Amino acid sequence: MAGRRQPRRLDRNIAYFDEPPERRPPITEVGPLAWVRANLFGSPLDTALTLLAALFLVAVCSFLLNWSIGTGNWYSIIFNLRLFLVGRVEAFMDPRITFLFLFIAVLAGVNFAAWSRIHLRLWAILAGVLLSLFVIPWLIASAIPLPPTWLAAGQREVTSGSITARPLERIAFIAGAEEEVAFRLVRPADDAELAQLTSFSDVMTNTLRNAAANRLGSAGRLATIERELAGDRLTGRQRAAHEEELGKTEVPPPVHSTYEVSAYPVLLTLLSGETGEEIFSRSLAPGEELRQTLPRDGWYVLEKRVADSDDSIALLRASGLYPIFDRSFIREGERAFQYMRATDRLLVEGGRPRDAGGADLPMLGIIDHQYRGERPLADFLRLMLGPFLDQLNLGLTLFVAFMAAAYAAAQWLRRRDREQEAPLRRVRRSAVWLWLVTIPLAFLLIAGFGEGGVLRASDPQLWGGLLLTLVLTVVALVAAFPIGILLALGRRSALPVVSAASTLYIEVFRGVPLITLLFMSMLLVQFVLPGLGGPDNAPYRVMVALILFSAAYLAEDVRGGLQSLPPGQVEAARALGLPAWRITLHITLPQALRAVIPAMVGQFISLFKDTSLVTIVGLIDLTGVANLIASQTEFQGLRRETYIFIAILYFIFSSVMSNVSRRIEASGSGAARA
Amino acid sequence: MATAGNDPLSQGTTISQMDEEPIIICRDMNKWFGEFHVLRDINVSVAPQEVVVIIGPSGSGKSTLIRCINRLEEHQEGQIIVDGREMGHDVRNIAAIRREIGMVFQQFNLFPHLTAIQNITLAPIRVRHRPRAEVENDAMQLLERVGIPEQAHKYPGQLSGGQQQRVAIARALAMEPKIMLFDEPTSALDPEMIKEVLDVMKELALTGMTMLVVTHEMGFAREVADRVLFMDEGRIVEQGEPEHFFERAQHPRTKLFLSQIL
Repeated sequence: MAGRRQPRRLDRNIAYFDEPPERRPPITEVGPLAWVRANLFGSPLDTALTLLAALFLVAVCSFLLNWSIGTGNWYSIIFNLRLFLVGRVEAFMDPRITFLFLFIAVLAGVNFAAWSRIHLRLWAILAGVLLSLFVIPWLIASAIPLPPTWLAAGQREVTSGSITARPLERIAFIAGAEEEVAFRLVRPADDAELAQLTSFSDVMTNTLRNAAANRLGSAGRLATIERELAGDRLTGRQRAAHEEELGKTEVPPPVHSTYEVSAYPVLLTLLSGETGEEIFSRSLAPGEELRQTLPRDGWYVLEKRVADSDDSIALLRASGLYPIFDRSFIREGERAFQYMRATDRLLVEGGRPRDAGGADLPMLGIIDHQYRGERPLADFLRLMLGPFLDQLNLGLTLFVAFMAAAYAAAQWLRRRDREQEAPLRRVRRSAVWLWLVTIPLAFLLIAGFGEGGVLRASDPQLWGGLLLTLVLTVVALVAAFPIGILLALGRRSALPVVSAASTLYIEVFRGVPLITLLFMSMLLVQFVLPGLGGPDNAPYRVMVALILFSAAYLAEDVRGGLQSLPPGQVEAARALGLPAWRITLHITLPQALRAVIPAMVGQFISLFKDTSLVTIVGLIDLTGVANLIASQTEFQGLRRETYIFIAILYFIFSSVMSNVSRRIEASGSGAARA
Repeated sequence: MATAGNDPLSQGTTISQMDEEPIIICRDMNKWFGEFHVLRDINVSVAPQEVVVIIGPSGSGKSTLIRCINRLEEHQEGQIIVDGREMGHDVRNIAAIRREIGMVFQQFNLFPHLTAIQNITLAPIRVRHRPRAEVENDAMQLLERVGIPEQAHKYPGQLSGGQQQRVAIARALAMEPKIMLFDEPTSALDPEMIKEVLDVMKELALTGMTMLVVTHEMGFAREVADRVLFMDEGRIVEQGEPEHFFERAQHPRTKLFLSQIL
């Protein structure tokens, strides 16, 4: 009877067999290919939908990517990062905001230690990402050369379409000590070469380029017409139209030969901008290259001349000369000027070179010397991505470093107190305390008080960007929270007056659009709170509107939580002899609030996004900054870039918040604890 | 219909035996839920240390009766006097009476956001204003008495039904009440857990606690009760000592009910 299990023992009429060995569940997981087949190509409809979605995704992504790399002018972000983050706050606010930023990093670290874990692997990934933020810009800078700047010289005017340009004889630029400038006189073989010039270029070069491109376009059109007329596929009417067009179309003579581009030598003189001392003065023949190392940081002036007898245009390919952003602002009652190189943010302050008559010399400004033509990937990396990452890396690294230190400290304390009762609960309690400290601390750091000292009052009108957006959101939520709870309790009150008043408040504020409330608050708050009048206090007036508005919504969230409690809870508390206010404080409110955490986080997120409406009443929050930048001369019309950037910022913050809410829900603190 | 128990002084045999003032007196009590007459002319008195079990079909008003005694429901006519105080609209009186009465519910009604020991200590600290350390010490003793000291720091959601109900009993006892009300304390429990709760209740009866128990556990009634009340349609139909009640019920409605459940 081999193979058959024997009964072990007989107990009355129940037979116990040897227990079968414990088995693992059968393996049901399969490889990625099988997953794809099962989930993406399961049925003909699935397949069609998958392909359609993929096609759509590829189309959208490739369009966006092409545009971002080839055309988008991201200087509007790179040069205005400060404006996006903190607006125009005073310089004395910088250390305070930095301190707050790092304090929040510590808060985040302690919270991670208290409520979740960051595994070593995740820390390693984070460290790797941060390191790459330093390495990538360095790699880009060392592997990819900066694109050249095209400058033209000569005395002849060039016309293309409605634009007539004349080369500048002298141009001022800024450069650093030990830097090398190089010039080469480039002689294009034909108009195709001229039409394909990309990179920074002056107005003259751009006009030449456009003229060449236009001529090529006309020539191409003419060739097409002639080819079609020579064939026999055209109807009579088409033939007539073509012949008419043939009569009108004029192909100008080749641009490069008409203007004798770089046919003759050019005389280059480099002068120091400050002293006027001559650094070199040389004649450069076509195809020849000239290099010079510069003595010091500051202004230089390049003079480029062709001989008076020559009616030609010289085309210079210059490296080491890059466009400049210029800013002026009021510092201590006087107008101060700053000039910043686009490619590496080299900064020069003070005056700029003037000519003998005392007028400002033309300079290599970014407006006249924009990047023209489709940007290749290498230039995108070198000019846009590298500098952008370079601006982020230090801040992010400091944030993560402080967060990691706080996390490690909290974990160490927890391990040290292992023997004591509930060390985790103590970490959590300190995390909650830290939160409670953070909010008044943040407000103190941002608003300040008094006339002098480290914490002197800042001008609320200058708060802006992400800072203003976050201040408005947090203040509105923190202040609305207790009001909302009182309104929720009031609406459920047995006293008819209290209940009716709360209901009326909630319904009125939920029934009025936020934007209306914002306009009303700008005009009405000062009647109730005269201290909040005047343009300086606009942010405070807006806060009042946001608080009143979100209190009404929070009240409804909390009321939902109160209503979801089983009546047995109150009965049990009453049976224990607890007075009504203690039942609310100890039994119903804690449970109701836990139950509505997800709804409240949702409210928080929508409030965060709704603060963008304050732009309409004149505050410069994140959205306001985007509008503001589009009106700066250098970045005129660059709305697409700035809106994409703020959309990404809004999305990052919202998704962090909804991620936190999802974690809270999953941890079970949302309702009764399991 | 000639109902028994119209006059508590003649019917409450145990009272004359114990020769004491009753601790709970309900006199001509009536209650309506809207138009529905849920309690009709209730006359009951309970002596100190007496264990009274109330049985009856569902909807007969058993639970409403004991919920009126600690004012979870309001009666509309008649009197309820607990420990010499009359239950009226005086809030202070209600609070004083509730402090003397512990209650255990069918659905336990533990506070899910507090641990077992926090559930027990909340009321003594907040209502009786006793020092926390002392209350926690007492709470541990109560948990030992109900047999689950090791569950002190768990949340209700982590406990079995029987354990939760035992914590609920400990929570009620922590206020050191003179009277305990049990509203179907085992009806929401698995059969295996009923016994552990009933054992705690038996032990409590032995210590001399005054108890009013609404239950369907006839074994418990037979074993522990000093008196059994049978209610139907808001009336007390019949009452008596358990032996008498279960063996020689007089009223046809009682006989019918007992024949269906025994």
